[in-house]
Amino acid sequence: MVNYIHFTDPNSEEMVRVLEQIPRCPGTCFFMDINRSTDMKYQGGLKDWGRKLNNTFNNLLYSNNFQQHIVKGIGDEMMLFIPDEVLQKKSSNNTCFALLEDIYAALFLIKNHPDQSLFLNCKVAIHYCTEVHNITFFDGADDYYGRDIDLTARLMSKSIENRIVLSEMFYMKVINDLINMGLPVETGCMSRVSERYVENFRGVPVSTAFRVIDVQ
Amino acid sequence: MEINEQKTDQCVIIGITGRLDTTNYSLLEKKLMELIDNHQDKILVDCSKMDYVSSSGLRILLMALKKITMQKGKFVLCGLQENIHEIFEISGFTSIFEIHSSPEEALRVF
Repeated sequence: MVNYIHFTDPNSEEMVRVLEQIPRCPGTCFFMDINRSTDMKYQGGLKDWGRKLNNTFNNLLYSNNFQQHIVKGIGDEMMLFIPDEVLQKKSSNNTCFALLEDIYAALFLIKNHPDQSLFLNCKVAIHYCTEVHNITFFDGADDYYGRDIDLTARLMSKSIENRIVLSEMFYMKVINDLINMGLPVETGCMSRVSERYVENFRGVPVSTAFRVIDVQ
Repeated sequence: MEINEQKTDQCVIIGITGRLDTTNYSLLEKKLMELIDNHQDKILVDCSKMDYVSSSGLRILLMALKKITMQKGKFVLCGLQENIHEIFEISGFTSIFEIHSSPEEALRVF
């Protein structure tokens, strides 16, 4: 449940006490961005780019019931967060592997649709977050803050059209899911996963490992 | 999910029962690709007992359609439940697949 943080006194001791008691909320965060959506707005009117945004957001979200996990949209980018406790309560598709497969399939469907005038290609970054809290500073909003959310946003800088960037943390969750299910680690789109890359991201004091999957 | 295969004079009917998602799409993929690789180029997929499909399931149907179209064959769907039809519409599938309301109606096109 979201914790609304709002104290008028900048030095409030009560604020510090409240913040210290807010538990972590581990889960999977993903950012999805629509490619070339800015160019498109200079090339056509609302009836053109609005239609494509409608189609693409619907395609990404509704086929997999992701719409209930949208935290926020900023322009043509969306942030989704699925807390572990929510994912585990699902009767099926309740693993990180299932999330990855469905996201891969959603990008595949857009990239390979015979009518290329309907949808826009996308890029994605996924991270398994432990340093995250379900808090908001805005009345009535539901939001998630923490250094792992910021890291997911940083990983987006490594994504390009039709690519999924997955943090090593998320990759290991997927591998564990596959082992627990008795499946080979190269099952599904994991057969296309890259080697491990390590980079330093702005504002993150430690190196971050990640991999990529390019949609076929 | 259960997959049933039935051979008729006109085509092979693949019946899907239950949920088609990440846990089982590989079974459908294997079945359809085996048929297509064995030059069975007329396939009807009966979805009347399929009550859920995720993107992973849709991906297999699109792959099968593309492959069978390259072989100049026919890949037809029938019996979509309302919620499935909505997902097909959102995915832009209703404009690329030949979809019929019942197996009887679909069999007439082969």
